[in-house]
Parts: sequence; C-alpha cells; structure tokens
Amino acid sequence: MATETEPEPTESFKPYTLSKTLTPHKRAISAVKFSSDGRLLASSSADKTLRISVVKSSSDSPAPTVSLLQELEGHEQGVSDLAFSSDSKYLVSASDDKTLRLWDIETGSLIKTLSGHTNYAFCVNFNPQSNMIVSGSFDETVRIWDVKSAKCLKVLPAHSDPVTAVDFNRDGSLIVSSSYDGLCRIWDAATGHCMKTLIDDENPPVSYVKFSPNAKFLLVGTLDNTLRLWNYATGKFLKTYTGHVNSKYCLSSTFSVTNGKYIVSGSEDNCLYLWELQSRKIVQKLEGHTDTVISVSCHPTENMIASGALGNDKTVRIWTQEKD
Amino acid sequence: MNAPIIDPLQGDFPEVIEEYLEHGVMKCIAFNRRGTLLAAGCSDGNCVIWDFETRGIAKELRDKECNAAITSVCWSKFGHRILVSAADKSLTLWDVVSGERITRTTLQQTPLQARLHPGSSTPSLCLACPLSSAPMIVDLTTGSTTVLPVSVPDAGNGLVPASRNKFSDGTPPFTPTAACFNKYGDLVYVGNSKGEILIIDYKTILVHAMVPVTGGAVIKNIVFSRNGQYLLTNSNDRTLRIYENLLPLKDGRKALDDLEETHKELNGVEKLKAVGSKCLTLFRDFQDSVTKVHWKAPCFSGDGEWVVGGCASKGEHKIYIWDRAGHLVKILEGPKEALIDLAWHPVHPIVVSVSLTGLVYIWAKDYTENWSAFAPDFKELEENEEYVEREDEFDLVPETEKVKESDVNEDDEVDIVTLEKDSAFSDSDMSQDELCFLPAIPSPDVPEQQDKGVESSSKLVDSNHSGSPLSEEAGPNGRATNHASSPLEDDAGGSRMKRKRKPSEKILELQAEKVKKPLKPSGRLSKVKNKSVADLDNGNGFLGDDVSD
Repeated sequence: MATETEPEPTESFKPYTLSKTLTPHKRAISAVKFSSDGRLLASSSADKTLRISVVKSSSDSPAPTVSLLQELEGHEQGVSDLAFSSDSKYLVSASDDKTLRLWDIETGSLIKTLSGHTNYAFCVNFNPQSNMIVSGSFDETVRIWDVKSAKCLKVLPAHSDPVTAVDFNRDGSLIVSSSYDGLCRIWDAATGHCMKTLIDDENPPVSYVKFSPNAKFLLVGTLDNTLRLWNYATGKFLKTYTGHVNSKYCLSSTFSVTNGKYIVSGSEDNCLYLWELQSRKIVQKLEGHTDTVISVSCHPTENMIASGALGNDKTVRIWTQEKD
Repeated sequence: MNAPIIDPLQGDFPEVIEEYLEHGVMKCIAFNRRGTLLAAGCSDGNCVIWDFETRGIAKELRDKECNAAITSVCWSKFGHRILVSAADKSLTLWDVVSGERITRTTLQQTPLQARLHPGSSTPSLCLACPLSSAPMIVDLTTGSTTVLPVSVPDAGNGLVPASRNKFSDGTPPFTPTAACFNKYGDLVYVGNSKGEILIIDYKTILVHAMVPVTGGAVIKNIVFSRNGQYLLTNSNDRTLRIYENLLPLKDGRKALDDLEETHKELNGVEKLKAVGSKCLTLFRDFQDSVTKVHWKAPCFSGDGEWVVGGCASKGEHKIYIWDRAGHLVKILEGPKEALIDLAWHPVHPIVVSVSLTGLVYIWAKDYTENWSAFAPDFKELEENEEYVEREDEFDLVPETEKVKESDVNEDDEVDIVTLEKDSAFSDSDMSQDELCFLPAIPSPDVPEQQDKGVESSSKLVDSNHSGSPLSEEAGPNGRATNHASSPLEDDAGGSRMKRKRKPSEKILELQAEKVKKPLKPSGRLSKVKNKSVADLDNGNGFLGDDVSD
C-alpha cells in the first residue's frame, strides 16, 4: 500500500527549524544520541573519536546552548555506534577495531575495553538497568556483556550476515537484532534463547530496528527505502512509511513522542523525514545537510531532534520547533 | 516480563543445574521480590548481594563487628532493606543502596530466622525466631522485644501473659518454634511444638485462633506462598502440609474479629479452635512414604503452583517438587553435599539451593533449542510424516503478477506509548519505588590487561575445584556462555523434555537414565558413568574437565 508522499503537515504540527550546526568531527559522523535525561548529546565518527556535549535549552530563544564536555579518544579505528547508560554516567562505543569501549563521562576516561568480536563491532546498546550491554557485529553474532566485570556473558548465533542493530525492550527482558540477511530476531535476554524471527515475503536487508516506547512494536528500516512498524507478537507489520531514500547505509530512525507521535528518520537524499505515526503522511522534510543523514535522535522531553551526516557534511545539526 | 511471547510463569519447574555461584561459604539465601537480586549470608558474617541476571556480585555488606555465621537473610518488601541475623545473637538492618548499616540489635539468644514486616518498604519491626525460645517481635529502632505466646493454656480465656523464656505451661523451652507473617503483616502465624498453628495479633499479643495439625508433631517450618493464599507447614512427622488461607488478604485482622464475634458463645480453647477452623483448612499433605525423609527449607514456587522441599539426609542434596495437587513431579539430585537452604525464584522456573560446602547451585529448565523460532515457516514434527503431493504440485504455471496485498488495515490506530500492567505481580504498585537493580559500577581496566571476551565468568566452572563430583546435570556449566558452539550440550537430557529429541549420542541416553533413578546416590553413579562418558565424548560433564568450548 503506497502512502501519500505529499508533504502536507497536519494542522497542529509545528515545523522544525534548524537551530544549531556543530562540526565536532573531522570525518563522517556515524551516530548521534541524546542521553536519557536529555542533558547530554554524544556523537561518534569515523575519525575514531567521540564527543559529548552538554545541551541546555534556553527559555528566550529556541536554540539550545551546546558546550563541549568531553572528547573521548582511544579507539584504533572508526567508531560506528554509541549508547548512554540509563543514569547517563557511562557511554559505550562500538568500533571497527572489533572492540567496545566503556567510558566514564564525568572524567572522560576509558574504563574498560570489551573484546571478543572477531569482526567490526557495529551496534551497541545498554539495557534499562544498565548492568548489561548488547552488541552486534559484522561477525554475525550478538554478544551480551556484563558491565561490572566486562565479561562476555553470552554469544548468540544471531544471523548469517552482519548484524546491523540491537536494542533492549523496556524492562530489559528481550533483545531484538536485525541483519543484512533480512531477518529480525527476538531473544530472551536472560537465557539467550531465540524467541521469534520476523520474516516477510521479501527479505530486503534490514538496516535498523528499535523497540517502541512501550516495547510492543518494532520500528524496522530496510534497504528498500521503507520503514515498517511491526507487532512482533503477531508477526505482522502494521504501518509502512516511505518517501525517503534508504538503500545503501544503515540509517537510524526513531519515535518522537514529546509533541504528538511521529517517526523521524534520516535519508540518503540529505534530508530528515518526519511522518505522522498513524496516518503515515510525511509532515516535514528537513533540509540542510549536504550528505546522507545517517543518524537521528530525539530529545526525551523537549521538542528537539539531533541529526548527523556523512563525510561530505560532517556536521551535527539540532532542529527545534518554534516556541510560541 | 509482560512480553506476550515470553510466558514468565509457564508452570514449569527446573531440571538441571545450570550454574553455581561461589563466594566464601554461603549459608542462607533470599530473593528480592522480583528475583533480580539474590542475597546470600556467609559464614564469616558478610552478606553478598548477587545480580541474578548477570550472575555477578552486585554488592557486599560487610560488618566489622560481626564475624559470626549468618543464620538468615530477609528483604524488605520493595527491596530497600535487608535484615540479617547472625550466630552472635545479633540482628542487623542494612540499607541496600548505600550499603550502610542502619541498626544492630543484640538479642538474648541466636535468632535462627528473622523476618522483616512485609507491609511497608522501610519496616522497623521484625519477627525473630530464636534458637531455643518463643518467637518475638523486635522493634529494630528501639531494640525492644515482645515475646509471642506459643501455646494456649488448657483452661483460661485465651489471654496469655507475655512470658519471658518459658512457656506458661511449663514445657521445656528448648524446641525452636516456627513463625511467619501473613502477606500484609497484620497477623503472625506460629507453629509450636505441640503441633498447633496459632494465629496471633502481635500488637495485642493475643492468640485469636488455633488450628491443630493432625498428628500433633512439632512444627519446624511455617511459610506462606507469595500470594498469601496458601500456608505450608513442615512437621517432625516428616510431612509437609498445605493449608488454604480462608481469611481475606488485606483485612485479615478485621475478619478475625468478625469470626470471634460469631463464636462468642464459646470460650477458651473451644473458641480458638472454632475460629481457627474458619481461617485455615488442610488442603494437602506430602511425604515420602518410602524413605520417610525429613524435609528442609520447604517453600512454594513464585506462583504457588509448585511446592519444593529439600532433603539432606545422608548428606544428600535432593530437591523434591510437587504440584499443588499433591503429585510428585520431579526429584532433582545434586552433588553429594548436604543441602542447607532452598529458594524458588519469584518469577522464573528456577530453584536455588545452598549446599553445606557454601556453594549456591542454580537449577533451571533444560532448554532444547526451539528451531521454529529461527525460521517461522517451518513446523517441527515429532516424527516423520508421510507427505503426498498434490496432482498439480510440480506443474509449471506462469505466475500471475504478485500483487503485494497487505490484509492489514494500515489506517488502524497504533498505540506505542501505553504500558501494559505487569500481570505477574498483582500488587505491583507503581507509586512505590521498587529497588530492582543495584547500579553496576564497572571496575576500571588495568591498562595492559585485555579481558578475553569469551571467557566464562569466574563464577562458572572450574570444575577441577574442590573435588566434589558434580553429576552430569552440572555438566553444562559452561553452557550459559556457549550457545554458539556445541549444539550437543543443548541436547543434553533432551529426552526428558516435552519436546522430545532422540539424543544423537549414546551418552545422552545414559545421562537421562541416570536422572530417572533418583534414589541412587549420584556420586557413585557419576564416577562409573564418567568412565564410559570419557570414551565417547570427553566434553560433557566429565569430572575435572574444563568448560567445553
């Protein structure tokens, strides 16, 4: 079912505008994320470093003030993904040097190096209790690590192609993983057993997967320019979002729930797309980047979106809605 | 845990030892309300809190003043406090998050068991059952103790003056009496040495009801199920009995008053018995009529569907599991180290047992890989089925243009924000801040060291430690970290499971058989079997072998 692609904003939707442009890195950005308390914004890049900034929204202007907090160096190769712990004290990053590194945000120092993957570590996430880390890699496995001891607790034989995304659900009992082999699999976090595989008639490589805030649905991005919302219990998808371009890179997408329900995603045509969740209409197309928008993140409480783009652009942009 | 594809309370029970935890010599264990943390009291006076999900140590509560063995551990309702009783007659209350000691009280005698009041999140009252006198309520803030009556005098009106250390009817005070709170802590149920269950209001120290247990044997343990609907007693006549709680859960005290009103024409013991008969009815009893074992540490499963009792006679480590209807469903046999404590996980089908050597064994379901979870189009068959092709099965028909018809109405509203209530916890009160996890503080790497990722955590294996012959169930010790390799291990004991798999190796059949004969001591058998095991496959549970990778 094709969705309408005319950018028709609904009446109550206030368009986002560019508030800030940052150039923290020397090479392509790979991921941007807000911390769960909304105070920090982190970005990782192919230049082997990570940057953490403090984001404060000011009351007079819509543009937030962004000040650099830490620069994290130590990886031997480019970094592909990062994740904050729930208490925003620690950051974990996944890199092409096959390791994950755990950083203390306060001091900016490297606490632990998690080794074990035999190929590029591609995606990483903390569980909500932040005592475990899950990571996916080009070696086709998903690994679960214990934060305290940095030991690998489990190795899941997850897929037959590089694992592109991993996520925990709200209470940390399930893990979802996606891969270029076209499958999304759901695992029991406590035992490591496969609970379900989501499969459809065609299996385009899956580039991204994420749980919805209530952990009942999965947002799945595939390399056929489509985003889908699946109900994993029934194994059927409920919504399809199209209009953007996604056939090469693993773009991240997310839910925006602070002011109405939207799906936000980057695109290979250098724009960000916002769709209304229920009607699947594109409500806005944010232009400004000069290369593929590889990663987007929504602020947990404010109406703010951060996006990062690839090598031609190298910027992190913050978009906000106009205040009344 | 409310995910529709995982059923937390499958009604199943554990079957094999999955792992063991080691830290000093542990004596007693307790799960917190959700089963995410396991507190263990050690023989050196420390209390260790394990993060049950990662099987690592989350916190250690150390008390410089206390060096005596811990006799019991108890969590407060929402996991913020832990009460520890030790052999040096002390009760210590700890704050879990900070790891600080809140208060310490010394009693006249060593408390064998201490229970915090279950009604509040920061309780100040606790019930202590000392070694050789009547149970008492201890106010932890003031240190004052109130001894509870343990018997009803034959003549009299049920009012028993608070006695010091002797029972008022002069019976020798050396039998430990068991006691527990009901679910909300408004009543105390005491099981005494005459085989009677007394229902006492601890605020007034009045016995309100009495239920005589058939046989009149000394009651050693008394414990409620988690939902407060069933009461389990363990008596000296080697029988476990289950009583159904007829009082309402929330206003038990008031209901008791109402019952007393209706029986006010009776007096004394008669009245107590009459009221008692309306409070508890005998539901089932269990015993092992063949070997007549004494039970240790009996308790219910999290959902109250299963009853588990430990048997430590002759130094064995056996766990008997019954369903509530009274059928024995399983006997788990562990290594030849006497069992001293037992606990069932509040949510998962996991049992944790402590052995005399101080190790904590975790028993879990034996898992056989569910292959249809990997490829949903495939259906697993128990055995070969004949398939007859359709007439036109292999005809070449030009495929019509496949229209991607989605029979899903994409215009339906989808709610991505509302949370589902957690059904496993009926009084899951979101307004109370429950402590489920202790923050994991990663210990910094020493610069040159690189942790090897696949190494199993230090808690798992070293099966060449301490010479205790781990039976084959303990074999898959390394299994927890090694799902990628050795599908063989996943099949271990497969023939015991509901999803039957014919084990491909002969040793698996030997293993399975061995488990079915529970009465033979496992130590001897495993030594014999291990010889043949070694010939066929030296990766599986062999004594002294390393983790098979």
